[in-house]
Amino acid sequence: MMLSRIADSLFWIGRYMERADNTARILDVNYHMLLEQPPNTYKLRWDPLIAVTGERARFYAAHQEASAQTAFEFLGFSEGNPNSIAQCIVNARENARTIRDRISRELWEDINSLYHRVTRMREQEEDLSRFCDAVKRGGHRFHGVCDATLARDEGWHFVQAGCVLERAEMTARILDVHYHQLLEGPRILNESRNHLWMAVLKSVAAFEFYKRQYGQIEPAKVAELLLLDARHPRSVRFNLSALQSSLYAISGSVPGTYANEAERLTGKLHESLTYARIEEIFAGGLHEFLQDLQQTCRSIGEEITGAYFHYSVVA
Amino acid sequence: MSAAAAEFPPDQLLFTGYSPGSFYDELIAPNGEPRPCAARMYEQLASMPLDIFEERRKLADLSYLVQGITFTVYSDGRGTERLFPFDLVPRIIPRSEWDVIERGLAQRVMALNLYLQDIYGAQRILKDRIIPRHLVFSCKHFRREMVGLNVPRDIYVHISGIDLVRDSRTGQYLVLEDNARSPSGISYVLENRLVMRRTFPRAFETSEVMPVDHYPSELARILRSLSPRTGERPVVVLLTPGLYNSAYFEHCFLAQEMGIELVEGRDLVVVDDVVYMKTIHGLTRVDVIYRRVDDDFLDPLAFRAGSLVGVPGLINAYRAGNIGLANAIGTGVADDKAIYAYVPAFIKYYLGEDPILQNVETYLCSDPQHLCYVLDHLPELVVKAVGESGGYGMLMGPSADKKTIEEFRHRLNADPRNYIAQPVIPLSRVPSFDPAIGGMSPRHVDLRPYCLYDGEKVTIVPGGLTRVALQRGSLVVNSSQGGGSKDTWVLRGDE
Repeated sequence: MMLSRIADSLFWIGRYMERADNTARILDVNYHMLLEQPPNTYKLRWDPLIAVTGERARFYAAHQEASAQTAFEFLGFSEGNPNSIAQCIVNARENARTIRDRISRELWEDINSLYHRVTRMREQEEDLSRFCDAVKRGGHRFHGVCDATLARDEGWHFVQAGCVLERAEMTARILDVHYHQLLEGPRILNESRNHLWMAVLKSVAAFEFYKRQYGQIEPAKVAELLLLDARHPRSVRFNLSALQSSLYAISGSVPGTYANEAERLTGKLHESLTYARIEEIFAGGLHEFLQDLQQTCRSIGEEITGAYFHYSVVA
Repeated sequence: MSAAAAEFPPDQLLFTGYSPGSFYDELIAPNGEPRPCAARMYEQLASMPLDIFEERRKLADLSYLVQGITFTVYSDGRGTERLFPFDLVPRIIPRSEWDVIERGLAQRVMALNLYLQDIYGAQRILKDRIIPRHLVFSCKHFRREMVGLNVPRDIYVHISGIDLVRDSRTGQYLVLEDNARSPSGISYVLENRLVMRRTFPRAFETSEVMPVDHYPSELARILRSLSPRTGERPVVVLLTPGLYNSAYFEHCFLAQEMGIELVEGRDLVVVDDVVYMKTIHGLTRVDVIYRRVDDDFLDPLAFRAGSLVGVPGLINAYRAGNIGLANAIGTGVADDKAIYAYVPAFIKYYLGEDPILQNVETYLCSDPQHLCYVLDHLPELVVKAVGESGGYGMLMGPSADKKTIEEFRHRLNADPRNYIAQPVIPLSRVPSFDPAIGGMSPRHVDLRPYCLYDGEKVTIVPGGLTRVALQRGSLVVNSSQGGGSKDTWVLRGDE
């Protein structure tokens, strides 16, 4: 038995924690990559980062230009940016506080400690790397504590569903924004281009895995790994598969069937990624494909909400 | 060594220069020696270096912060979370003293329940003119809707918190007020004990302290017994006003400890006079609600319209006998501060016994003679609004300025029924850590034991919540006024 409101909070704890983690990753990797680039490219390269988070309009309302400092402030701390790392952690913690009777004491104390650690850091005094590191470690610990202390009931599956849906969408966004920039942005030396793809892989912790699988950096292979790989925990396909399992566990559906629109959309998208070839995707336009994919992820989120959290009761 | 400790002489110990003064000290006898009940604890604390004590104090604070045992202060606009200050020196009660308190409280809880049964039933006590009819019916929390309604197992007050103080002049415990609606604070009793066990494990080895952690299971047992459906495992929930209620931590804590669902009004729905909760797989029937929402907000259809924390239709479900509620509705007619003055009379009337615990002398402003006296002695008295709790609507005569006193004079004349007055009780004190002197100072305390009633017997967790006025000289123990709390030990014996 699980209250709709509690399931809703668990789902969003998963999403917010994953969002904070991903944002810290792309912020950190970008920063380090740019340290080694010629200075005149700096300005250009912070803008796509803002775009990944989907907050360009809000950013340019507050800042004139995208620099390391303004991006760090905006993505790391800004109270005006609902998707800043600090705000994601505030929201995750607020959700956890509301349902602290339903999660393990360890999980609550872990999220609460992360909240206190992060909200006490200030951008003027903090080193970007240290900050991102604290958030990433927090993300890893979150998964570890969930794994080690939560019963594998519906609650667990709602946390999982939130995490993997968020991660699938974030990976698609990262790929979309960088691909767009690399192909259509200003001319960049080939050597730098390799560098940028390496940064993308590192931001999703897939660099070592890629090197072992493919060796040479090739944009199409990077896209293939991030979209279609069945084994890497940050590929879109991997996460959709996990999402499908969790949705089935919640509803009791068996493979090949679906109990609601969220399951149908997830199954359909997962199927298409399972049998797709990267060449076909490129032929149809990667950007268009990724846009559709992100839209489907948003629809899945809405359908989960409609099926489990906010349905109407006829009284 | 910590910075604080460095400011004080290296040979200074926690009790160096401690004097119990002219008030009753719970731990230290007037000659400066520890009382028998406190001897073992004193022995450990008195020899503990200041920096070690400081370290443990920080550890305890950190543990409250990490667990999120905080209350929210909204005065700065950001909603800052503060810790409810916790003082590491326990209040210790010898067994023989506790036995008297326990019997006195049980007697009082029985009498309050019989009174409620009577007022919402035959009203014998009114016919026998033990208490004036108008005083009862003019109570803010009297619920006409409850008259003639049968409540499950005839219990009205399942959970109560009765505030006690020790009068320094006589050394006697007195009842200061009854809380028969939804008293809070029990979670601090349980958490304080947990933190103390972690902070001073050795103290528990040497002192034989009675455990407190059976409270949630006892409460759960009573709640389950209120289910109208027999034969099924009852579904019990705790109804909270939500995250922004100052007692939200406690609601979560109790729900978790009892293994029941914590719900908000929006989680519940009433269909055909049956209460359900909204789950991910549809509606589930609810049998018993431990509600931490006031009567007024419980059902927007029956009481205050527009209440967002309540459940529309809940009262009809209750009237139809489809849901158990704890506490019952309308129990505020028992803890009204004017009714309080009659509780000793209830004990005599319903139980035929003499009250074991005495009341504080109380002037009812609704009585013209009493009012006259109160108006003449305002600077010496404590004036309280009858329907309020938590220190609201209160005048502390001796510390109030002229303007406030005149304001209250005006209020008393305008609405005498709404006020009572009591002499200022010189509360007993307990040694408490004072960071300013790097050692112990005596601070005033009260005591709120928590009583559970299952219709046959009253169960009281040994001890209760000791609230302490951490500011020097202050008699106000409320957390909003710089009050804190202490762990309360009832010993298995007297030492």
